[in-house]
Amino acid sequence: MAPIRDKFTIHSKAIVCQDVELKGDITIGSGTIVHPKATIFAIAGPIVIGSSCIIEEGAIIVNRRKEVMRIGDDNLFEIGCRIESPTVGDFNTISTRARVHHTVRIGSYCVVGAGCLLVPTEDEILDDYTVVYGPAAERRKWSGRGKVQEADLRRKHAEYLREMLPKFNRLRRGDGT
Amino acid sequence: MDPPIYYSKAEFIETDTGNKVSRRATIAGPQNIILGGKTIISSGAIIRGDLRRTGPGHAVVISLGRYCLVGEGCVMRPPYKTYRGNFNYYPMKIGDHVHIGANSVVEAATIGNHVEIGKNCVIGKFTIIKDCAKIADNTIVPPNTVIPALSLFAGSPGRFIEDLPESTQEMVEAQTKQFYTRFQPLER
Repeated sequence: MAPIRDKFTIHSKAIVCQDVELKGDITIGSGTIVHPKATIFAIAGPIVIGSSCIIEEGAIIVNRRKEVMRIGDDNLFEIGCRIESPTVGDFNTISTRARVHHTVRIGSYCVVGAGCLLVPTEDEILDDYTVVYGPAAERRKWSGRGKVQEADLRRKHAEYLREMLPKFNRLRRGDGT
Repeated sequence: MDPPIYYSKAEFIETDTGNKVSRRATIAGPQNIILGGKTIISSGAIIRGDLRRTGPGHAVVISLGRYCLVGEGCVMRPPYKTYRGNFNYYPMKIGDHVHIGANSVVEAATIGNHVEIGKNCVIGKFTIIKDCAKIADNTIVPPNTVIPALSLFAGSPGRFIEDLPESTQEMVEAQTKQFYTRFQPLER
């Protein structure tokens, strides 16, 4: 395998803390927040993260496939979660300590509950509005109630972090600047 | 008494009040964190004092009491919510003699005195843990849970298992004090 070449493209409005481990070809969109101690590894193919995502401490995002790993907008990756899925839509919540294998593609408005393991052997797609919960990773559909409120909370959260994080943490810039 | 637990002197910083903080712990916004004294923060722990409540003046984000232990790889961060349309993080208060096991994630609002939290636990946002409660290893406590005094919680989601004996307070107090005295620097 060819050695991993580091290439970070970080949008000027993104907040990426200094204490973050990045490896490989990574693109981070505008307004996305990466907390300290998060890890993003593009081992095989590149990783492209959309706008206004929040990646909390200890979260690990890995791309083991050759293809581009695309993460949409307004996703929340909570503390210590691990994501390897090749595509992630918009407005998903991956809760604390959840793990998603590279065989799962995530749609939009999905929630993976705290400590859930999503590790099927065959490829599958998580439909929009799917909620995965409990120790056995059971599934349900979300009716979409309170969607506006949820989106509002996410937006305000990102807005708050964009203002507060630079006051206490050193930031990292892309190669371009 | 049990044998001492040694740590290398270079790794920990000891304060005047006897707090021992690992140099390998990530502490953001230390001006917003209060340690009560004789508290140990192990290596790899992440404490987020930077996520403070907006508004003027000094804000305490995380306060820990005396004889606490924050285990290796723990994450402590204050909980957040929107209240009357305003987004905010809210302070987190932890009492005395609280031990938190390794690799647990704590986003509680309040933790009382003499509380034991096991390893690999997830304590959801705005959880209130009352005095002398115990959380078993690998427990996932959902957000907004109230854990009553002298109760043992375990499982995913965390459920009430049994009542703890009334002697819990003395037991935990002795245990945490003993742990602090056992935690000794190794010269060289």
